[in-house]
Amino acid sequence: MSLFESLFGKKSSTAHVARDRLKLVLAHERASNALPYMEQMKEEIMEVIKKYTQVKDIHISSRNNQNIDVLEMEIILK
Amino acid sequence: MGIVITVTSGKGGVGKSTTLANLAVGLANEGKKVVAVDFDIGLRNLDMLLGLENRIVYNVIDVMEGKCNLSQALINDKHSKSLYFLPASQTNDKNILDKQKVKELIETLKKEFDIILLDSPAGIEGGFEHAIAFADRALIISTPDVSSVRDADRVIGIIDAKSEKAQKGEEVEKHVIINRIKPEMVERGDMLSIDDVLNILALPLIGVVPDCEKVISSTNLGDPIIRDMKALSGEAYRRISKRILGEDVEFLDLSVKKGFFKRMFA
Repeated sequence: MSLFESLFGKKSSTAHVARDRLKLVLAHERASNALPYMEQMKEEIMEVIKKYTQVKDIHISSRNNQNIDVLEMEIILK
Repeated sequence: MGIVITVTSGKGGVGKSTTLANLAVGLANEGKKVVAVDFDIGLRNLDMLLGLENRIVYNVIDVMEGKCNLSQALINDKHSKSLYFLPASQTNDKNILDKQKVKELIETLKKEFDIILLDSPAGIEGGFEHAIAFADRALIISTPDVSSVRDADRVIGIIDAKSEKAQKGEEVEKHVIINRIKPEMVERGDMLSIDDVLNILALPLIGVVPDCEKVISSTNLGDPIIRDMKALSGEAYRRISKRILGEDVEFLDLSVKKGFFKRMFA
């Protein structure tokens, strides 16, 4: 922050708000849009797990961290 | 063999066709044989931006349906002799484009031209999908506002999922053009900056075009601003054209000249 801004108080920047809102909404949308194969994959994984143990549900979430895309899977057993 | 570059944005009205018209002229002036194809079926626009609206006889649908030869439908630009234009039809049948026919047309164009520029319609429906299906590269146009950036992000995801290259496991080379930026507003903190947009879209930048009234007056005349050697936006388009061809060109300095008072304290 420049001396000018610290002396007179920085106006809250609307660009900053725009950036934060966009990041939030896109994080959500990317997770739901980017993986059209998600439902089918979930069912197939469930079939595999059922061979070994009893499974109640699977939650798969995706996130991306810098340049790495991560799929996280949580398997809930009966 | 030519390359296919699709110009797209998701949101309408961000300057897709204007950008395409300027880059088409720019690339032709760089010595490439270029064809600009208007894929916005039903909403023909590129013809007026290029000033070629009075010369249309046949259109892209006529070519695909075999009603005429490709050479009958192609219109040669008045000034840039290596630039050709293929107009959209004005039918309101949105489903008229057939994927196989689009593919055949693009294959034919690739044999005759160095660069095939496809003007995608706004939205993410059929016409858009056809325009991105056979792209080698994509230029994603975004203005620095929330709706445009959000839609651009969505479009990038769709290109990665649905283009033929992506389905073969290859990648469509994608670049961002930030259009209509107002440096004073960015400096005041009232407009997303170039870095903000790039951070969100996570793609490399190929150009920034400042908001410029001259773009509107050049559109009125049907003479792309890139031919105006004095306009800053024209210079921006000339530089983008060179970058598309792989030249390393400096970005325009769009920083606002600081006044005396601000400089003292900055």
